[in-house]
Amino acid sequence: MRRLFCIALIAVLAALWGLPASSQALADEIPRTADGTPRLDGIWQALTEANWDVRPHGTGHALLPELGAFTAIKPGLGIVDGDELPYQEWALARQQENFANRLDLDPEGKCFMPGVPRATYMPHPFQILQTPDLVMIAYQYANAVRTIYMNDPGPAPNYSWMGWSVGHWEGDTLVVDVSDQNDQTWFDRAGNFHSEALHVVERYTPLSPNHILYEATIEDPNVFTRPWTISLPLYRRVEDNIELMEFKCVELVEEKIYGHLRKQTDETEE
Amino acid sequence: MKQKNDRYHSLIWLTVILATAGTVSSQEPSLFEASYEPPRTAFGHPDLQGVWSNAMLTPLERPREFAGQAFLTEEQAAAYQAQRRQETFRGDRTVDVETDVSHAYNDFWWDWGTELVKTRRTSLIIDPSDGRIPPLTPEAQARRDARLARRAEHPADGPEDRLLRERCIVWDGNNDAGAGPPMMPSAYNNNFRIVQTEDYVLLLKEMVHETRIVPLDGRPHLPGSVRQWLGSSRARWEDDALVIETTNLTNKTNYQGASENMHLTERFTRVADDILLYEFTVDDPAAFTRPWTAQIPTVRLDGLIYEFACHETNRGMMGLLSGARAEEAAAREVASE
Repeated sequence: MRRLFCIALIAVLAALWGLPASSQALADEIPRTADGTPRLDGIWQALTEANWDVRPHGTGHALLPELGAFTAIKPGLGIVDGDELPYQEWALARQQENFANRLDLDPEGKCFMPGVPRATYMPHPFQILQTPDLVMIAYQYANAVRTIYMNDPGPAPNYSWMGWSVGHWEGDTLVVDVSDQNDQTWFDRAGNFHSEALHVVERYTPLSPNHILYEATIEDPNVFTRPWTISLPLYRRVEDNIELMEFKCVELVEEKIYGHLRKQTDETEE
Repeated sequence: MKQKNDRYHSLIWLTVILATAGTVSSQEPSLFEASYEPPRTAFGHPDLQGVWSNAMLTPLERPREFAGQAFLTEEQAAAYQAQRRQETFRGDRTVDVETDVSHAYNDFWWDWGTELVKTRRTSLIIDPSDGRIPPLTPEAQARRDARLARRAEHPADGPEDRLLRERCIVWDGNNDAGAGPPMMPSAYNNNFRIVQTEDYVLLLKEMVHETRIVPLDGRPHLPGSVRQWLGSSRARWEDDALVIETTNLTNKTNYQGASENMHLTERFTRVADDILLYEFTVDDPAAFTRPWTAQIPTVRLDGLIYEFACHETNRGMMGLLSGARAEEAAAREVASE
């Protein structure tokens, strides 16, 4: 349903822009390699408020009252098919606890790598570099990077923050199997979470030269009662001078993480 | 019989040639066939893709003991390599308890590499000819002195006082070596991956997952008001060499004493299937009395780059700062007694 909506939306937008209105015509304009594989190369960004909460949500207060409207929760209709997450009972309670303590607990606040799929809809651009053997995705946020192996390199040696990604093409869709993520990342700032059993299957389908439909199926039998899916469009950043800039955020969080271990000023000899 | 004689003569000649070659190669052994043709990408560029290692035991600067000598003889190289292995890896835990607890249990994790550069150069620096970093300008020396003095006086007041690698921001060497780019070998994870598309080159260093995505389209560097830890990199092909120019650095990495205005030129040339020649030139009139150039023949690795989550699990910083606070508390207690 959501996918149909995305396609319809893009078709309408394209019609307004005077581009061919049928999705077939748009698909014909997708950049391709010599052998006909779609080229996903480029700098892309999601335009959604899902990083606040992947579910539908209204406007909300900023974490600290003195911030006023700065960093207030921006409203969004969510990216989850069916809107709700199928939590097990204990897990719903844990998510609510996470939300209440998000200032301390959200890994984004500590500049930790975001995991998949959150990396996709962080409010930062990311860049895809596509080769026959590897697809690299570099995210501006925290300088996080993924290597997607198009030839299965075997099992992951260990759990990691960005997981272990193995890809293949199904028609015009790049399908990526993401396993072995650790249990430290969240889905959003609302405390939606997962365990190490998380298994994500991502689908990147170009809909036009400047749009990708991003879909992901999320399975985690330790936390959810059934698999669930998300979908959202990705937009090409079409500015001539666009490039990923550096958001190495470690120095921004040192006070937050280590501030309590600082030498106290009144003890500092001058 | 005639044939046998010819063979005999050939053998003599071969011996003479080998002997001569031995002498010549103690000056500059050739790394590669001049006629080597690199494989090419679908776009016609030399294919530099893959995982490469710059783990080399050869020091950046020529040791005093080899003053005046650019290349080692084979015998010298064997002895020096053994010596460097000894210096960089003391991880044999079976020697005795003292060796084990004083460093071996730690050195076990080190991976400085096991070989000198294949050129048998005495230093990674190839220019100037003395193989050493040119003297710092007085201003750069003053900046370095100030940094060292500050560090001596405030070793761990807060995280900012610690080395960049301890903070997991970028990887630097020990003490005052400063951080790259360039991509310098250090204690472990000396691996990097190159990925090429028609318009970009991606360099992924295993250490701190430092990633540079360098455009090949001739665009200008970032505006001078924007400074980045890894700078602003732009690439081009010069014949079969990939040349990357980097500017817009910060005043915090101080590579070998450089300022934020360092202009770095890196050059990657695939000279054999298993050797990617990495050369870089540091030009910074505000810091060095002349530009200087180093060369590392990096070696192809049959392996993958794994995620290096440094900051996410930086227990070391917690330990460093807690330790410093505990020492101060202990000192106060002694003073009050």
